[in-house]
Amino acid sequence: MRPNQREQQAAFQFKGGNLTITTLELMTTDCLKIEQELSRQTQKAPAFFRQTPVLLSFDQLEERPIALEMIVDACKRNGLIPIAVRCAQEGIKKSAWALGLGWFPPLTERRLKEVEKEKSCIQRLPTRFVRGTVRSGQQIYASCADLVIIGAVNEGAEVIADGNIQIWGTLRGRAIAGAQGDTEAKVLCQQLRAELVSIAGVFQTFDTCEWPKKSERPIELHLEDQSLVIL
Amino acid sequence: MAKVVVVTSGKGGVGKTTSCASIGTALAMQGHRTVLIDFDVGLRNLDLVMGCERRVVYDLINVTTGEAKLSQALIKDKRLDGLFMLPASQTRDKDALTYEGVGDVIDALKEEFDFIICDSPAGIERGAVMAMYYADEAIVVSNPEVSSVRDSDRIIGLLDSKTRRAEQGESVKAHLLITRYDPERVEHSDMMSVQDIEEILAIPVVGVIPESPAVLRASNQGIPVVHDSDSDAGQAYSDTVARFLGEELPMRFTELERKGLFSRMFGGRR
Repeated sequence: MRPNQREQQAAFQFKGGNLTITTLELMTTDCLKIEQELSRQTQKAPAFFRQTPVLLSFDQLEERPIALEMIVDACKRNGLIPIAVRCAQEGIKKSAWALGLGWFPPLTERRLKEVEKEKSCIQRLPTRFVRGTVRSGQQIYASCADLVIIGAVNEGAEVIADGNIQIWGTLRGRAIAGAQGDTEAKVLCQQLRAELVSIAGVFQTFDTCEWPKKSERPIELHLEDQSLVIL
Repeated sequence: MAKVVVVTSGKGGVGKTTSCASIGTALAMQGHRTVLIDFDVGLRNLDLVMGCERRVVYDLINVTTGEAKLSQALIKDKRLDGLFMLPASQTRDKDALTYEGVGDVIDALKEEFDFIICDSPAGIERGAVMAMYYADEAIVVSNPEVSSVRDSDRIIGLLDSKTRRAEQGESVKAHLLITRYDPERVEHSDMMSVQDIEEILAIPVVGVIPESPAVLRASNQGIPVVHDSDSDAGQAYSDTVARFLGEELPMRFTELERKGLFSRMFGGRR
C-alpha cells in the first residue's frame, strides 16, 4: 500500500506568500551610470549583495528605448541576480521575456488610481449637517464632503469626513478629517477635549495635554509639515 | 392614552430598579394606574424591591409564549391600588424575549393602564433593546461618575436609533435622573456635578436623588423608598415624578447643607 500511496502524492505544491525583495528602482537609462553606482554601492557590503535576487523597476521612467540586457549584465557583474522586471512599457516586457525574466504590472497604475480617488474628493459634495449631540458608539461619515455638527461629539463617538469637520460644541470623542488624504483639511471645534484627532492620516491622541482655554473663536486643528497644530 | 416609559442606564448598579420601583409607586400614589415590567430576564430583582417576591407565579416569558394569561401573571401591589407588576423569568435568558411577544403584552397593558414602566437590564444587548423598543419616553438613570455617564450617553444614542419611535421617524423623549448624588463630594471635586452631567448628556434633568442610607434600607425591606416620606431620597423621588408629570419644582438636595452646631455635635445623619 505504502509505495502506491507515495506515487499518488503530488509532485509539488503551489504556494502563495509574501517575500520581501530588493527592488532596483531605476532613475536613468544610462547603463554606464547604473553600473558605476552599482559597483560603488555593492562594494560597501559585498557579502550582503552576493546572489541577491532583485526586481528591476521601471516605474519612474518614461517610455524610452532601454537596453535591458546591459542593465541585467551590470547587475550580474556586481553579484545581483535580476529575477523580474516591473514596468508598464510593452518593449521592456518583451525584452524581459527574451532574457527569461518575469514580469510584474507597474505600481503606477495603482498610484494613479489613488490620486484619482483623492482628486474626485476635491469636487466636494454638499456639506453634511448633523443636528444634536453625537453620542458614545455613534459614527458619522461625510463622504467626499465637509461635516458640520451642531452640537457636541461625546466620548466614544466618532465623526469622519473626507473634507473639514466643524463642531459647534465640545469635541470629546474622535474627529477624523481629510479621511481620503486631503492634507488641507481642518478640524474646528468650540472646545477641545478630544480622545483623538486625525487629519489626512496624521493623528494625535490627547492623553496628557494642556487643553486650550475656552475662547471666543473656535479652536482650529490643521496639518503643518506632517504634524498636527492646535490654534 | 397610555404611556410606555423605559427606565434605563447602560451601566449596571446605578439604581434602575430602585428608581423604577419608586417612580411607579409615586405615579400610583397620584392615582395613575401603573404597571411595572421587569425586563431583566434571568436576573430578576424588581419583585424583591417591590416586596412581592413570594407572590410570583407566572412571569413575562410565560405570557409572551402563551403559557399564562396576562391577568394571571400580573401581581397587585399590597400597599397601593392601581399598581401592578409583571416579573421577569429567572430561569430563562434574554433570548426568550421577542419583539412580537413583548409588543402584544404592551398593547394589552395599554388597554388597562396609564403608565407602563419598563425596568431595563444593564447593557446594550437584547434585553435592554427589548425594554426600550416600545417606549414613548425614557428615564435615563446616571450616577455622577464618568463611566456611568458615558454608558448613559450610549443608551441615549440607542433610544434615538433602536426604538420603534425612531424607526417611525419620531423621537423618544429622554429625561435624566441622577442618583447617588453627594453634594459634599461634588464640592471636593470627587464627583461630577449636575451641570457637568447635563452638559455632556444634553437632555433635561428630571430629578436628582441624593446618596442616602434610606435607599438601601428600603430595598432590603421590599418597600420602595418613596413610601419613606421623611427621607431625603423619598422626597426626591416624589419631586422627580411631579416634574415628570409636568410640574415645575426646584431641585432639592443638590447643594451642600451647611451643618449647624447641633448637627455637627450630634451627627445629623438621618
